[in-house]
Amino acid sequence: MFEWLSNVRELVFGMQDGVLSTAGVLAGLSGAVSDHQQIVLATLASTAAGALSMAAGAYLSTRAEGEVLAAELDRRARDVAERPYVVQEALLEQLAKEGLTREAAYRVVKLLSSAPQALISTAEAKVYGLTRAMLGSAALDGLVMGVAFVVGALVPLVPYIAIARFPANLAVALAMTAIVLFAMGYFQGWLAHRSQLWRSGGRFLAVAVSAAVVGYLIGIAISPLGAAAG
Amino acid sequence: MLRPGDRAPEIDLACVLNDRISRFTLASVRSDLVVVFFYPHDFSFICPTEVTGFNEALASFARENTTVVGASVDNADSHQRWARELGGVRYPLLADEGGKIARAFGVFDESENAAMRATFLINRDRTIAYALASPINIGRSVAETLRVVEALRTGRLCPADWKPGDQLGPGDRKY
Repeated sequence: MFEWLSNVRELVFGMQDGVLSTAGVLAGLSGAVSDHQQIVLATLASTAAGALSMAAGAYLSTRAEGEVLAAELDRRARDVAERPYVVQEALLEQLAKEGLTREAAYRVVKLLSSAPQALISTAEAKVYGLTRAMLGSAALDGLVMGVAFVVGALVPLVPYIAIARFPANLAVALAMTAIVLFAMGYFQGWLAHRSQLWRSGGRFLAVAVSAAVVGYLIGIAISPLGAAAG
Repeated sequence: MLRPGDRAPEIDLACVLNDRISRFTLASVRSDLVVVFFYPHDFSFICPTEVTGFNEALASFARENTTVVGASVDNADSHQRWARELGGVRYPLLADEGGKIARAFGVFDESENAAMRATFLINRDRTIAYALASPINIGRSVAETLRVVEALRTGRLCPADWKPGDQLGPGDRKY
């Protein structure tokens, strides 16, 4: 269950970035260029590059994190083997901080010490803030991120391709973007068992609208460059 | 922290000895030397090696006419349970609740709200003969404490790393 939830991060991040960045590219290009086909091709290229970049980034970051985490976990396991009393004392202190009396904490640690693996995994989580569940699959993270990006990108891109006339195509693309972003925020809030799901959706949407508006304004600002080159 | 030559404060505390709660006063001790070792807490994975170490070496200290007492800020009930956990302790564990005596010796760690790991050897005239403090995470050497007791009992100049059987320094020199 935890592993599935950790992939939700890549799913939401990838989709959100795909939706937002593609809507931003469409809005920006629409402000600078008038040719519908050129805008679509450029956006498709941007989508491909974005998906590959996000996938590679997720793969590399998960791999790097995993290597560092694995090395740290191994180091801590050696500590338990070579100097168990140091780890025992650190775990005792942590349990006492969390509300157990010192004597109760001592007895808990002593009990855990009868099973070295139990002592190691408890110390990892409570004292060092590490857990082997944090070791994700780099390939899976990359794949989820890349696919999610593409799925997100299709949300504004499909209506924009389908409707040739500006500004109707952009308006529909942005409307679809807004609906999906709100839905993503709503879903995120549901996953987190929040009570005000509408607020969660609204926050997501507010960020999106800001990005699209800024993208459009940047497009308008740089449009003279396109005119000069043409 | 008190140093050699300083006068040791009077100690009058509840204690646990041989699984019984009683009272300890420094004034009642008649041995040549008294070892008072402070430790941070009962129920610790670092402390027990010292408490049990002194317990195992008690006969050696008795041969040197030396009394051993341990002290922490835990109360007598805690000392009693801790002593049972360790299989019995045959010297007094003093309940320095609030750290009054630790403060008097200058070894109370305010940040930890507990005594430092500190050892004092007190002469019969109640002056400090030896004082040592170590970090909270490093256990002391019982063997070294015994060696210092044996050296002090010679009343002579003892070279570095002196141990019983080694040559003593000249009898007419103080240093």
